[in-house]
Amino acid sequence: MMMRISKICLSLTLFVTAVPALAHHSFAAEFDASKPVKLTGSVTKVEWENPHVWFYIDVKDPSGKTVNWGVEMGSPNGLMRVGWDRKTMKTGDVVTVEGSRAKDDSNNANARVVTLASSGKRLFAASSQGQPGQGQQ
Amino acid sequence: MMRAAYSRLLFLILLLGLPIAYSAQWLHYPTAGVPRKPDRSPNLTAPAPRLSDGKPDFSGIWHTARLIPCTPDGNKFIDCGTEIGGSPLALDLGTDMPGGLPYQPWAAALVKERKADHGIDDPHVRCLPDNPPRPWVMPHLVKAVHTPRLLVLLYEVNAMYRQIFVDGRPLPADPNPSWNGYSTGKWEGDTLVVQTNGFRDDLWIDMAGSPMSEAATMTERMRRPNYGSLELEITINDPKTYTRPWTVKMTQHIELDTELIDEVCLENEKSYQRLQSIRPKK
Repeated sequence: MMMRISKICLSLTLFVTAVPALAHHSFAAEFDASKPVKLTGSVTKVEWENPHVWFYIDVKDPSGKTVNWGVEMGSPNGLMRVGWDRKTMKTGDVVTVEGSRAKDDSNNANARVVTLASSGKRLFAASSQGQPGQGQQ
Repeated sequence: MMRAAYSRLLFLILLLGLPIAYSAQWLHYPTAGVPRKPDRSPNLTAPAPRLSDGKPDFSGIWHTARLIPCTPDGNKFIDCGTEIGGSPLALDLGTDMPGGLPYQPWAAALVKERKADHGIDDPHVRCLPDNPPRPWVMPHLVKAVHTPRLLVLLYEVNAMYRQIFVDGRPLPADPNPSWNGYSTGKWEGDTLVVQTNGFRDDLWIDMAGSPMSEAATMTERMRRPNYGSLELEITINDPKTYTRPWTVKMTQHIELDTELIDEVCLENEKSYQRLQSIRPKK
C-alpha cells in the first residue's frame, strides 16, 4: 500500500513539477523539422552533461553499413524533471529515436521521442508532448 | 557542562539526520510551510508569507508561467513539438506590444539580422550569463531568498546569482559595467520597486536579439499577490537603443516540492561551433 501511495505521489509530483528545459540554442538554427528521422540502434555512448544530453547510436543504413549517429536531448535537469536520470539509458541499450535531422545533413539529430527496446517504454525526450499547458503540433 | 551536552545532542541530530538527507531526493523534496486546503493540496491563493519586518516575503522557487504555444507558425526559434517551450517573452519581449519593441533604427536592423541568423550569436548559446531581465522569462528555475535587507536570486543556469539590496544604499554613480547590473530596492506599500543600472553594452534581452546598452536602466516592480504567484512589471529605459521607455508584465508561478539543479552550460557545449559553420547565407 505504501509502495502504491509512493508511486501515485511520484506520478503526481512528476506531473506537477514537469518543468520544461529550453534549448540553449535555437532549434531552427541547428535542426530541420521538415527532415524527420526514425533511427533504431545500439547506444555506444551517453554524455549526461549540460547544456544538452547527447547519446550516440550505431545504426545500420539501407546498404547494411553501420553508421554512428549523435542525438541531442534536453538538459539533464529538464530531463530529470520529466522522469529521466543518468542511468535511464546505458551503453548497449537498443533504442528507437524519432526526431529531426541536422540542417547540415550530418548524422546528428534532435530527439523528440526515445523508446527503449528493452522495456518497450516510450520516453519523452526534449518534447513538450504530454506536458501541462502544451498542445500538440 | 551545558556546552558538552549541547554538542552531544547536535552530534546525535547530525548522525540521525544525515542518512535521511542522503537518501532524500531533492528533485522531489517537499517544500516546507506550504499553505494547504482542507484536502491537503497546496492553497496557492492563500496570502503571501511575510518577512520579520511585515513586508511580503518573495522567497520561493519561481518559474515563468506562460508557455510557448504549439502552433504551426508559433515562432522561428523553437519548434515546440521538438523542443520544450518557455514563455513567449523569452523569444521576444515585445510579443504583447502592438508593433513590437520600439527600436531605434539601428537596433531594428540589428534585430532583423539576428533573427535571420536564428540567434546563433546569442551570448546564451555561448554559455555566457543570462543578464536581467532574461532569467525571468527563460524556462529555468529562479530561487528567491528574501531577507528584510537583501533579496538574492539564484539561477540554475551557470549557477549564477543576483543581489538586490534593500538596505538604503544608493545606486553606484559610475559603475563598472556588468552582466547583472547593480540593483537596489525600495518598498511602495507591498510592492518592491527595484532599480538597476551599470549594465554591460550590447547585452541581449531576448532570443530575438533585442539589444540593451550600457545607457540602460531597469525598473522592476515586484509584488506577491498570493502564495502561488509573483507579479512583475519591468520597464527598460535605454534611449540609445529604444525610442521610448517600455514596460512588459509577467507572472511567475511557484514551483513546489523540488530544488534547483545546477546547469553549467560549458560542461559539454558543442552547438556554437557547428552553428557558426552553418550560418545562413545572406
